[in-house]
Formats: sequence, structure tokens, C-alpha cells
Amino acid sequence: CKSVLDVQPQGNFTSDNYWRNQDQAVDGITGIYNILLEEDFTGFNEFVFDNCSDDQVRGGDHDYDDAIEAFTYDASTPTVRAGWRWKYEMINRANTALINIPKISNIDAAIKKRCLGEAHFLRAYAYWRLLLVYGEVPIITEDDVIKVNYNKPKVSADELRKQIEADLLLAADELQETNGDTDKGRASKGTAWGLLCKLYMEWGQLDKAIAVGNKVITNANYALAPKYADNFSVATGNNSEMLFAVQTLDGYGYSDFVTYHAPRKWNGWSFFYPTKGLVDEFETGDPRKDICIMAPGDKVNVGTSIETVTADLSWSGYHYKKFCAWKPSGGLNYSLKTPLMRSADIYLLVAEAKIRLNGPGAGDAEIQAIRTRASALLPAVHNAGMKELMHERRVELCGENERQQDLLRWDKAKLIDIVAINNQPKLAYDGTVMSRGGSPRKFMRPKHYYFPMPQQEVDKSKGILVQNPNY
Amino acid sequence: KVTGATDGQGLPGVTITVPGTNAGTSTDANGVYKLALPATARTLNFSFIGYEAQSVTIGSKEVINISLQSTSKGLGEVVVVGYGVQTRRDVTGTIASLKGADIKNLPVSDAAQAMQGRVTGVDIVRSDGKPGSTPSIRIRGTGTINNSEPLVIIDGVPASGLSDINPNDIASMEVLKDASSSAIYGTRAANGVIIITSKKGNFGEKLRASVNVYKGVSNAIKYIPLLTAPDLAMLKKERYTNDGKQIDPIWNDPYYSTQRTDWQRALFGSGQITNADVSLRGGSNSSNYLFSAGYYNEKGIITNSSFKRYTVRINSEHKLGKRFKIGENLQLTYRQNDGFDAGSIYSSQTGLVFSALRFNPAIPVFNPDGSYGSSKASNELGDINNPVFTAQTTSGWGKTYRMLANVYAELEIAQGLTLRGNFGYDGSIYNQSSFVPKVLDQTRTRDHAELWNRSESNSSELSEIFLTYNKYFKQHHVTFTGGYSQQIAKGYYFRADRWGFTDESPDVRVLDNGNDIHDATGNFNPQNAIASGFVRGFYGFKDKYLLTVTFRVDGSSRFAPDRRWGYFPAFSAGWRISDEAFFKDNVKFVSNLKVTGGWGQLGNQNVRDFQYLSPVTKDRRYNFGESPYVGVWNSRLANPNITWEKAEMTNISLEAGFFENRLSTVITWFNKNTKDMLVPAAAMDLHGTSAIPDQNIGQLNNKGWEVEVSYQGGNDKFRYNLSANASFIKNTVTRLYEAGSYISSTNYGRQNQEISRTYEGQPLASFYGWKTNGIYQTQQEIDNDPNIAKDPNRENIKPGDVRFLDINGDGVVNDLDRTNLGDPNPRVVYGFQAGAQYKGFDLSLSFAGVGGVKLYNADKMQGMDPTYPYNMYAEALQRWHGPGTSNSVPRMSLSSDNSNNRTSDRFVEKGDYLSLRNIALGYTIPAKVWGRTGISDLRVYVAAQNLFFLTSYSGLTPQLGYNDATQDGNKQRGVDVAAYPQARTFTFGATLNF
Repeated sequence: CKSVLDVQPQGNFTSDNYWRNQDQAVDGITGIYNILLEEDFTGFNEFVFDNCSDDQVRGGDHDYDDAIEAFTYDASTPTVRAGWRWKYEMINRANTALINIPKISNIDAAIKKRCLGEAHFLRAYAYWRLLLVYGEVPIITEDDVIKVNYNKPKVSADELRKQIEADLLLAADELQETNGDTDKGRASKGTAWGLLCKLYMEWGQLDKAIAVGNKVITNANYALAPKYADNFSVATGNNSEMLFAVQTLDGYGYSDFVTYHAPRKWNGWSFFYPTKGLVDEFETGDPRKDICIMAPGDKVNVGTSIETVTADLSWSGYHYKKFCAWKPSGGLNYSLKTPLMRSADIYLLVAEAKIRLNGPGAGDAEIQAIRTRASALLPAVHNAGMKELMHERRVELCGENERQQDLLRWDKAKLIDIVAINNQPKLAYDGTVMSRGGSPRKFMRPKHYYFPMPQQEVDKSKGILVQNPNY
Repeated sequence: KVTGATDGQGLPGVTITVPGTNAGTSTDANGVYKLALPATARTLNFSFIGYEAQSVTIGSKEVINISLQSTSKGLGEVVVVGYGVQTRRDVTGTIASLKGADIKNLPVSDAAQAMQGRVTGVDIVRSDGKPGSTPSIRIRGTGTINNSEPLVIIDGVPASGLSDINPNDIASMEVLKDASSSAIYGTRAANGVIIITSKKGNFGEKLRASVNVYKGVSNAIKYIPLLTAPDLAMLKKERYTNDGKQIDPIWNDPYYSTQRTDWQRALFGSGQITNADVSLRGGSNSSNYLFSAGYYNEKGIITNSSFKRYTVRINSEHKLGKRFKIGENLQLTYRQNDGFDAGSIYSSQTGLVFSALRFNPAIPVFNPDGSYGSSKASNELGDINNPVFTAQTTSGWGKTYRMLANVYAELEIAQGLTLRGNFGYDGSIYNQSSFVPKVLDQTRTRDHAELWNRSESNSSELSEIFLTYNKYFKQHHVTFTGGYSQQIAKGYYFRADRWGFTDESPDVRVLDNGNDIHDATGNFNPQNAIASGFVRGFYGFKDKYLLTVTFRVDGSSRFAPDRRWGYFPAFSAGWRISDEAFFKDNVKFVSNLKVTGGWGQLGNQNVRDFQYLSPVTKDRRYNFGESPYVGVWNSRLANPNITWEKAEMTNISLEAGFFENRLSTVITWFNKNTKDMLVPAAAMDLHGTSAIPDQNIGQLNNKGWEVEVSYQGGNDKFRYNLSANASFIKNTVTRLYEAGSYISSTNYGRQNQEISRTYEGQPLASFYGWKTNGIYQTQQEIDNDPNIAKDPNRENIKPGDVRFLDINGDGVVNDLDRTNLGDPNPRVVYGFQAGAQYKGFDLSLSFAGVGGVKLYNADKMQGMDPTYPYNMYAEALQRWHGPGTSNSVPRMSLSSDNSNNRTSDRFVEKGDYLSLRNIALGYTIPAKVWGRTGISDLRVYVAAQNLFFLTSYSGLTPQLGYNDATQDGNKQRGVDVAAYPQARTFTFGATLNF
């Protein structure tokens, strides 16, 4: 009888017979990156949270997302839950890699080191997004994966930051400085340093932010792209400035990101509309405006024809042009990479830290680098303070899911009043109030610094997961 | 000659044996038999399925004419049990029988559908009306949260369902319901066993032929009242006005206030059904045979959806010498499903029926220029595609080729002692193709056409050898069955798809014509093996005191090596009170009275293979730069301790017949406890998206009553029969992880709403959400409402919003106030049948119904929600628009501040229904009319299927099942997700016998 029942899981790898060689390690790492394509992660759901800001308004047809920008969301709001499990899936795939890859002997030492660096970086990235959205969440470690222990209490934001810092420091050590053509888009040392810089800024550790930020902006491998537009074009999306971007490829690696941004008339779903406030922020003659924004009257090449933008394509009249691309054969071009972190961001964070530590003028060089790259015709900055810095961040990084995080950081540092900014109605191109932009807006401090954890998770934890304060 | 007792007609195929000898024969087409008797012959035994067996003393008679009692409740009736047959009088378990004749020519693709309402304790749950869809079968309730389909055995071979057999080939269906009768199949019997015996020829039977033809048309039973374009525009505007927001200009555009399309009627057309089959049977003294061929074709009510089946059956049996018999049962089936991708039909993103119920009624099916109407003009029209476009432009087919074969040999070692070997083979090849076009002119675009092909082959080999012994020792009757069985299943599949077709015409939709190979995958299908030993002993004393003992040992490869073996014992006993002298002599009107009772343990191994290992799956793509890579992930976590689910069942049954058994009844009480139920462990999303391995920690109880009553009456000219059955079941999950724990199920809709939870202490898959009490009419009502006295959200609530109840009394309405909203498992499942014959006319009716059941109208939850950019149910017109205007439908608003359309009792409805499943009226033109044409009779008939549903349920059909699309098994039931609706069918047909 025994022989009859002796059936092996033929054709399938299992945790018992996988993780034996270099290719398997690399495939394990690829599996972690794969999550970046998810609609509920960077494909759409991460960018929804920036609807809280004053830069954009919810378009599309998810009227229930009104709660996000009206600040009436609660623990059962679908958007609050959508991305949660993908971030933890990223953490768990990274944990699995970190458990198994060190045991592989049949592997090139450099590749092994890079793989570990990528796993550390991606785990940190997932926790970083959790930190920004929820503030306090559980940490799942390698040990938890081994012991199948997934019901854990949350840790404080500081503990979470320490976890992210530790992973990023390891990643910065293990990752390669640059990646070859067939490895474009892998995390590099610059990616880890960049995220570390962002973490220290969020943490209020300005010295450390400058130190690590300088490693990025002084390194030629992470130089600004020659032209601002290079970052938002299919051909040049992967350039030295692009510290981290979702590597989509038309017909292969698919993310909904472009679909969500493009106008409905031209194959998109029209979900994010820039506000008049953002568009007016651009200085006259700043070429970044036409690169970023599609406004009424603009001509757009939608691949098969040149079309004119009309105001009725969006509630505000605008779309983010920087996130649209079409193929000459028709349809959206999914090879446009989704930017998640650019050196320009780090330049401006270093400038911000310097200004906040040493006063106006301390960040002029970094701000100037950004402005000069945008256009030689833009007036030079002198003695720039936080006002100039805030302006520069707003236009340079518009739509890249940074604005609300900037506002929150500045509010916590008592540099601005986020309640006043966030509660202002959002205006359309013609100056009318977009009543559908979450109006009336009711930001409450400190409640809306963070979102609540998903109610279903709190329920399932049977008391272990304690909801965030104020929810 | 052997005749039927009621009609005096000759009975063909009756088996005649001479006890103690090898002599035997069977009757010919006219019921006549001849038999040379050995010198030792003393008696003749006559037996025939569906009739009482009889023994006749030969004495000196040369001609022995007898008449057999035809009665489905006949005590001498032979019933098929696992690995053998038994006379009804000896049965100590609960076995229901359904004769092939009762379900003949019903216009159903799957014989299981025909069982609905006809078998006590069996609930047939059809989740949708798609042609060829397979219903779920629940015997004595849902026995586990996992796969609870019964084991189906066709002619001795496990067949995983009834969809491949032509229902007209079925001679009888036996449903083994209790532990004692099903324990012989221990390992897979926890959910009950259905044994199908196909029709066979008889030794010495003259060649007979039978031809069946029927044809019918089908139509939608119901349409949901939806808003017309002018009303919709009016309500859309009202949303903005109520919210103090700008009205989107599209709603002032007269184009969108003009009614153009009723999308339900645009999508649902009429269907067709055609069946034709022919059978030939007969035999010589040493061989018998049956050959049949069938064709069934059902076109659904939605464009391009159809199901087609060809079947061939060859059964034959041969005597080689006096003690040796060989034979085979061979079933060949070709099955073809045509239509759009079935998996997406329920989707709340792209589902066809969902789209038809939501698509804007001002949009035409076709624009004046001939292109399909679309919702591209505005976000206000939603992100769904024209459902007619989708149904007409996507295509797909699935083709299954299957052989179910059984070859057997039987050796009579000594009188009453037989050794039998079976070799069964179940092989199938499945090919599938799905095509979706390039879509640029709809809202959900696709910039390339896609074609998928899939091919799969599966086989299982069954080897069995067993011994049976049957002997009377004066007043002692002993039977014994014991043997060994093993079954090994294997499979392989591959799948490939290409994207981009320069020509999308149907005749060039092959992989070769695609531009890029997008993906290609292939692997072994799960492989598994079972090995078993089994014994069953029966002892009867004076035919009054009966005892059955069964034991089976099973090993299953699905579990970790040290957790593989399961042991399943069962006992049952019976007492025929009516055979006791004290009873027989005193209570004349009671012709039969028997009490039986039993207990046993059964197993269920029908869970995913290899859960004791964690699979590493390579299917996660990512590209670095332009270089494609494929990554891996742990698609499931491992549970090294996984083992059998066990079900323990007790039942007590009382069987009674009155007035020569014209009136008979069976009443049964049962109690079934499922232990070590495999439930998914802590399903926190913190583990990410890997599947969770099951753990043996759950317990579940089903207990209830089954009652059946039947009456046969009339005289030679007019005969009629009535029967009714009902089963009352209470289902409770008695243990999960710990008190207060639950198992969640798939969320539904665009807002991912949770609908069903399985809590410890509650029935499986109960609805879970908020309770409501009308609508706030005034601000004062809001201000004074104790439910929200301390609710920080109170300021956002406005008159016209729904009043949700504060269940826990803390003055705040939040997630803690959710509660059980109802049980989707019917408390009672019932049916009744009536039949009458008069002078060649025959009439039959079959009703089926359920009671004490709640349904969750999840589609209505979408269709009443004004925050969606879609069309709404017409009921939305009853909305609140000022104090006193409505206490059931909230105000129109885009705001979700009060989440008026969250999961709540507003969408829970009573799901009780009574349906006339089938009514048929026939006329038989008798043999004498046909003279010497060779035709023995011709019956013509008209029939209707699903003529009506009496129900208060507001959705398309009250018969909702399990949401297949979510693969959620029994965790969700009775949730209306706009499935393919069931149709009403009218047929006419003829049966011609030669």
C-alpha cells in the first residue's frame, strides 16, 4: 500500500526543494518587485492618498473615495484596506528571501549580496509606505515567517522607523552602485540612500538627512537627467536620476498606473485631476508646466492623432500629462515607467534640511540645480527660504505622491498650517469651486495625520491589533 | 410468464435463478421465460430492479406464471448498495432510490438537476442558469466548509459528478445518506454517496429499440425593474442638488434623458433545447448488451452561450461457463460549452449581467453609424462596457472528451460466495479556448486582442477486488463483503496565450496568428492516490432482527506521510416489528413497520493536495529595463500536520406501510457531527496574499428530520400516485479557533463589501452587517437618536439617511455594531410529485421548494447605491426626498458619510420559494394501433420546466447557490451577484419503442 500512496508533488517546487542556486535566488527577488505592479499598491491605490492634498482632485468614478479628500474616511473605507495586504506581501516575500538566500552556496558572491540588498530595500520600502499611511503597524520578521506567526500587535512609529533605517543601512551596504542594462530598475545604493534621506526627513533628523542625501546628489551615477521631460518619457524613463521606478513594459509588465491617469476619451480612466492651485504655482515660463499638465486648448499626441484638450475632459479641466503615453498603433503605452523616487526629490530634501538647520540661503545650490535643469531661463534663487523651497517641491514633484506628505511633514514641524491648506476648496481651471473635490474638507489635527488600520484586520486580530487613536 | 401486478403486462428482463444451482435466465421482451431445471431445483427466485423479489416453490408445475409487485417502496425491491445489492427489507441504513423512469426526458443537462425535490434530504443548488452548469449537491446539509459534494459512483467507478451521463441512460440512482450505508466508501463518503446504475440488457432478451426526441424553447423568467433614462437623469441631478454640488452638465443633456435601451432585454434573448437519443438492448443466453447514443444541445438565453453533449454507452455482460462472468460498462462523452469567459460572468467589474443591470439606458446598443454604444462620453456613465458588445465580440469554448469505463470479472467460487475484480478507468481530455478582442471604443479598453488556449488531460485508475458471501442458515441470514481498493489519479495541463491579432475574424482565432507569445505555462495537475481495505457484515435473524457492521481503512496521499491513514467504523441495526406475530395478528392495516438505527464515522479527504508542503510558484513577472524576468513566490503556506476530516453520524428511522403499502412513509432523525474540519488558519492579511493552509480544528453539526410520504391509488383504468418529502436541517458551526472567531469570505462589489461570515455557534456563511430601522425623517430625529448619541459622525448624517442600530449600546454606530443578519441555509427543503394515468394519457408534476432561508441581494446593494455612476433599480424612485416621503430608501447623495448602502438588513430578503420544476402531459398510442409495423408504442408529450417560482424574493431568481467565481466554497451562499439567470423552458417530445 505504501508505494501506492507515495505520491510526490511532481512538477512543483516547494519550500523544501527550492532556493538551491543563483537563478532561484534572483527569481525570488524578482517576485518581490512584482508586487509593485499591483493596482492596489503603486498601480493606483498609493496615489489616491495624495487626493488629500491641495494639488489634485479625485476623478474617475469611485465616488466613495470622496471620503479620502473630505477627511470623512473611517476604518471601513475600502481604500484604507486595499493596499494593506500588498505591502505585507512584499514584506513576506522579502522575509522569505532573507531566510533562504544566505543559505545558498551555489551563487556568485556579488549577486548574493545584491539580492540581499534588494530584499532589505524592498522590505524597507513596504514598511515606509505603511509608516506614511498608517503610522503604527505590526512588524513581521523572518522569525515570524518561520514560526507562522502573523497575528502581532503594532509597534510605535519610532520602532517602525528604526526597522526601516536598519534595513536601508544594510541595503545601502549590499546594493550595487549601478545596474547594467538588463538590470535597470533594480534598487541601487542611491535608492537606499535616497529612501534613507526621506526617512530621516520624516523623522525630523535633519543632519542625517543631509549626510545621506549628499551621498546621492554628489554621486554622478545619480545625476539629474539632462532634461526634466526625460523622466516622463518612454525612451528615457530609466535614467541616472530615476532612483526607483516601477518597471512596466508594454505587453509584459503591466501596471494600471497610466490608465488611471489618462483621460477617459483617450483610453484612460481619468482618476487624477490637477487643481488650479497647483497649475498656478508654476512660474510663467517654467517649461515643467507643459510637461506635467494637460490644460484646455493644449494639443496632445494620442498616438494615432493630434487631439485638442477640452475643459470637459476633467472636473478641473486638467490632467497630468507627465503620466500619459500613447502608442502610434493606438492605445496607451504601458512602457512608461512609474516614478517612485527621483534624485530631484533628494536635492530638494537636502536643501530643505539645510534651510531648516542653517536658515535661508543654505539650500540655494540644490534648489538652483533643479531650476537650472528645468530651464536656464528661470530666475536664479537667492537666499531661498522655506517658501521658495516649498514652491520648488510643489512644481518639481507634482503628481508624484509627495505633496500631502510634504504638507504633513511641514505641519508637524510647525512650518505651515495644514488645516488651513487642506480645508480650502479645490478650484477648477476657471476658478470655480469643485464641489466634488471632497467639499467641505475637514482636516482634523492630529487625527488625519494617519489613516486608520483596516477594520477587517482589527476584527480578525481579536484584540491584538489596536486601532489607531481617534478612529 | 412474469407480469407486472398492476397492469398485467409482461415484464422483460426479470432475473430468474434457482437457489443452490447455477441455473438461471431472464424473461424476454414479453415477460416469457424458459428454463431447464436441474434435478435439485426446489424453488425459483424472481428479481427485478424496482419490483419485489419473489420465491416460488416449483413442485411439479411446468408453467409458473407470477406477477411481481411494482412499487418503489416494495420491501423486496433490490437496492444498490456499495459493492453489492441488498433487498429493501434487509436495509438497515437510509438509502433513497430514484428510478430512471422518474427523471426521463427532463430538459436538463445534468441528472443532478432532475433530482431536485424528488429525493428526501437532498438539496440541489444551482448557482446559475448557464447552459451546462453543474449544480451543487448537498446531502443532509452542508457537512463541511470545504468541498461538500457527495461521492458519485457510476457503475462502480467514482465519477466526480453527473454531468457526463445522459440522464436517459440511468436505470436507478441510489443515495446513501447515513453513515452505515455509506461507510463502505469511508474515505470519501462523509458528504453522502450517489450510486448511479446505468441501463443494461438482459440475458435472453429479444432486441428492443427505443428512440427519444424532444425540443424546446426557453426564455427569461423575470427582469429587474430598472430606471428609465429620464428618471435616472432626474435622480442623478437630485444627488448633486442634495449635496450642494454642481450638477454634472451631462445630466442636463437631453441625449442622456432619452430612453433608448432596456439592457436586460437587449442581453437576454430566447434559448433552445434539443435532445435525441436512441438505445438498443437485448441478449442471448450467454451475453447481453445495451448500446445507446445521445445528443443534447442547449442554447442559453444570452447570446453565444450554449452547451452540447454527445454520449455513447456500451454495457455488456457475458457468461463463460457456469461460474465465470465478465462484462464492461463503457461511457463515452463529448461535451462542449460555448460562450464568453465563464469565470468573469459574476464580476462586479465586467460581469455581463452586472453590466446589463448597470449600463446607462440612454445609450443605444448600436450608434447610428453602426458602432456599439459606449459609456466613454463621461465618468458619469461608469467604467463598464456595453454588455451586448461584450457578449457578441468575446468568444470561447471548452471541449471535454471523456471515457468512463469499467471492466469486471466475477467468479462464483461456491454457492453464495463470489469473487469480483473491477478495473475502472476515468480519462478525460479538456481543451479550452478564449478570445477577447481589441477594444478601443469602450471604456474598458484593451489595445490588443488576446487568445488563450488550454489543454488538460486527467486520468484515474481504479483497481478493486472483493469477495461477497450470502447464505441462509435456517433462520440466520449472513452476508459478507470484503476487499481492497485503490485509485490513482494523474493529470497534465498546458496553457498558452498570444496577444495582438491583425485579423480578429472567428475563423482565424488560432494561436499561430497572434503576434507575440505572451505566456505559456504547463505542469502536472495535482496527483493523488487512495488505498483502502473494507469489510461489511450483515446478519439477519428470522428476517426480523437485522444488524450491519462496516469497517473501512483508508490511506490518502493528500496528507503528510505520518497522517495518512484513517479508520472508519459503522454499525446499524433494524427491527421489523410488523413481522412479529403479536403485531401482524393485531394491526391489520399496517403492512410494514420497521425501526432502524445506526452510528458511524466517515472521512473527507477532498481538500487540496500537498498542503503539508509550501509550493514555490514561478509566475510573478517583472522586467528590469526592457528585460523580462519571471519571479517566484510562496503561493501557500504549509501545514505539516494536515489530516482527515471526520464526520460522525447517528440516525434513527421509522418505516411504515399501510393498506398493502399503498400508503407508505419514512421518518428519519439524524445528527451529523463533522470533526477535525479543515479550516483556514488565522487569515490575517499580515501574511500577505499567500493561500492559507487548512488546519484540522473546526467542528460542525447538522441535525434534522426527514419525512416522506407516498400514496399509490386508482384502479385498472385510472391510476395515480402522490408523494411528498421534506427535510428539516439545522446547521451550526460548533467550533472554530476559539470563542468569537469566524471565517471570512470574499468581499463583493466595487467597494469590497463584506457580506458573509462563518462564526462559531452560527450557521455556515451567515450574513453579517448592520441592522437598520428606517430613514431619519428630520434633523430632530438625528439629534435625538440614542443610537448615535455619542457618534462623532453624527454631524455628517442628514435627514434621508438610513438609521443604523447601535447594537452594543455605546451610542456610536461603528463596526462593532455588526451582527448576524440571517442564515442562507434553508431550514426545510421539500418537494412533491403527482402523477396520473388514464387511457393512455399521463400527467406528471414535480414541485420543489425551500423554506426558512435568507438571501442577500448584493446586486441590489449596488443597484440602489447612488454613489455609483451607474443605472439604478427602479425602486430608487421611492427614495426619501422630504419628511414622510420614504422610510425605506435613503436620499440621493454622492456622499458616503453615512454609508447608507453598507452591508445591512436592507438587502436581506426572504428566499423561500416553491417552484413547479416540471409538468408534463403525454399520450401513448398503444401497440395495437401500429399493427405489424414493429412499433410497440409511441408516446408524445408536452412539458414545461421552471414554469413558475412562487417567492417574495425581488431578484432574478430565488435559487441562488455558491458564488463560483470567488472559489469561496461554502463560505458564501445565497448572495445575489447577478449570475446568469435561470430560464423557463417549454418542450415537446416523443418516445418511440420498437
